[in-house]
Amino acid sequence: MAYPSMGEAHRRITDYLNNFSDAVSYQDVASLAQLFSFSSNSPPLLSVADALNFFQDANRLIKQSEKFSQYGEILAPLFRSLQSYRTGNLVDAYHAFEKFANAFIQEFRNWESAWALEALYVIAYEIRVLAERADRELASNGKSPEKLKGAGSFLMKVFGVLAGKGPKRVGALYVTCQLFKIYFKLGTVHLCRSVIRSIETARIFDFEEFPRRDKVTYMYYTGRLEVFNENFPAADHKLSYALTHCNPLREANIRMILKYLIPVKLSLGILPETSLLEKYNLLEYHNVVQALKRGDLRLLRHALQEHEDQFLRSGVYLVLEKLELQVYQRLVKKIYFIQKQKDPSKAHQLKLEVIVKALKWLEMDMDLDEVECIMTILIYKNLVKGYFAHKSKVVVLSKQDPFPKLNGKPVNS
Amino acid sequence: MATEQPKPATEEVKLDLFEDDDEFEEFEINEEWDNKEEGKEAMQQWEDDWDDDDVTDDFSLQLRRELENNSEMK
Repeated sequence: MAYPSMGEAHRRITDYLNNFSDAVSYQDVASLAQLFSFSSNSPPLLSVADALNFFQDANRLIKQSEKFSQYGEILAPLFRSLQSYRTGNLVDAYHAFEKFANAFIQEFRNWESAWALEALYVIAYEIRVLAERADRELASNGKSPEKLKGAGSFLMKVFGVLAGKGPKRVGALYVTCQLFKIYFKLGTVHLCRSVIRSIETARIFDFEEFPRRDKVTYMYYTGRLEVFNENFPAADHKLSYALTHCNPLREANIRMILKYLIPVKLSLGILPETSLLEKYNLLEYHNVVQALKRGDLRLLRHALQEHEDQFLRSGVYLVLEKLELQVYQRLVKKIYFIQKQKDPSKAHQLKLEVIVKALKWLEMDMDLDEVECIMTILIYKNLVKGYFAHKSKVVVLSKQDPFPKLNGKPVNS
Repeated sequence: MATEQPKPATEEVKLDLFEDDDEFEEFEINEEWDNKEEGKEAMQQWEDDWDDDDVTDDFSLQLRRELENNSEMK
């Protein structure tokens, strides 16, 4: 043990208590926040943890002075949590931390100003990552991991404390983002809905007044939700916001935004340049983009197969699969242009059997009826303008703009 | 004797249950950055008018050959 004496341990613990009490008295939030930041594993914090494990009876020190004992409900569980954290008992550490955090928000509620927000941010973050580690401990002992869910319930309570009127509301978005991280991890994203409603319908608080880091995180997660809902214009708006405002030095975050924004943009007919895919190592999209440019249905199929696991995990597979119609459009357009070069007067008459032949070349065996069905869909979705002459098995293309562009709008559904 | 069925490795699965591969990296509480340059570069590398009616690329040339193979195109 790094402690030469009981006296030294005593001194460290008393210093910590004084730091806490001073930070609250002087509303020094930076110092206060440091005292709770377990995951920083800062040497001062670890040495207090060691002192607590050595001294064992820290409650006596809390009770020794009114200055400390008035915060006993906060400090006693905080000490217990720190002790367990240091000895690696993360489930115990989590339980005590939740007790401490509940006592802290009681106090926080009573403070009129928002001076302690930053300390609350640290608590919100710490409880989430501690819960994740506690769940890992539980799962490895064959028990059911449930702490992260508990952390979610706690953070909903914190959200309630912040989301009303008044100066504390500026902190609501930070807590929302921590909740999103929990819900996305647990696969309970439907729980995002009520917090989103509360953030977006509030007339008393303008979204732009939230801190930028929270706005970017919020737009990333709500953008991902819009991707799952297949609401591509909204997803485009949110993810583009996140991309525009993200710290450019945070390349991992920019990459994650692009991972979702690219399929969204593709479905709106907008393609990323190769340089962008290279810079952020998103080459899994390269062949998808090429397939769209060429009208190469075979390449699209291969690209989807090759990265199937990846696309399924991030939930963009279905979005990419739907690009098939755009690729069909492009292929038909190519056939049209090739015909036009040979004989402009007849180019707008497209024989189905010609399309069948092109598809066969792309290893897609379809008969005339199936191709007729595809062409009907393309016309219905306004990707092709024209009509179908059923008897002669010919698509007659409109002379004006036979292949309307999407221009940033989704394919008609 | 081996009468008991071997238990499936559920623990391994459980550990893997709660994952989000794309969890956004935490910004520092006081992280600040310049509003001017941010994200601009990544916002510019998109083409929305890529459909340039070009049929001279390899794919189109092959397609043309394929379609001309039979005399069905007049």
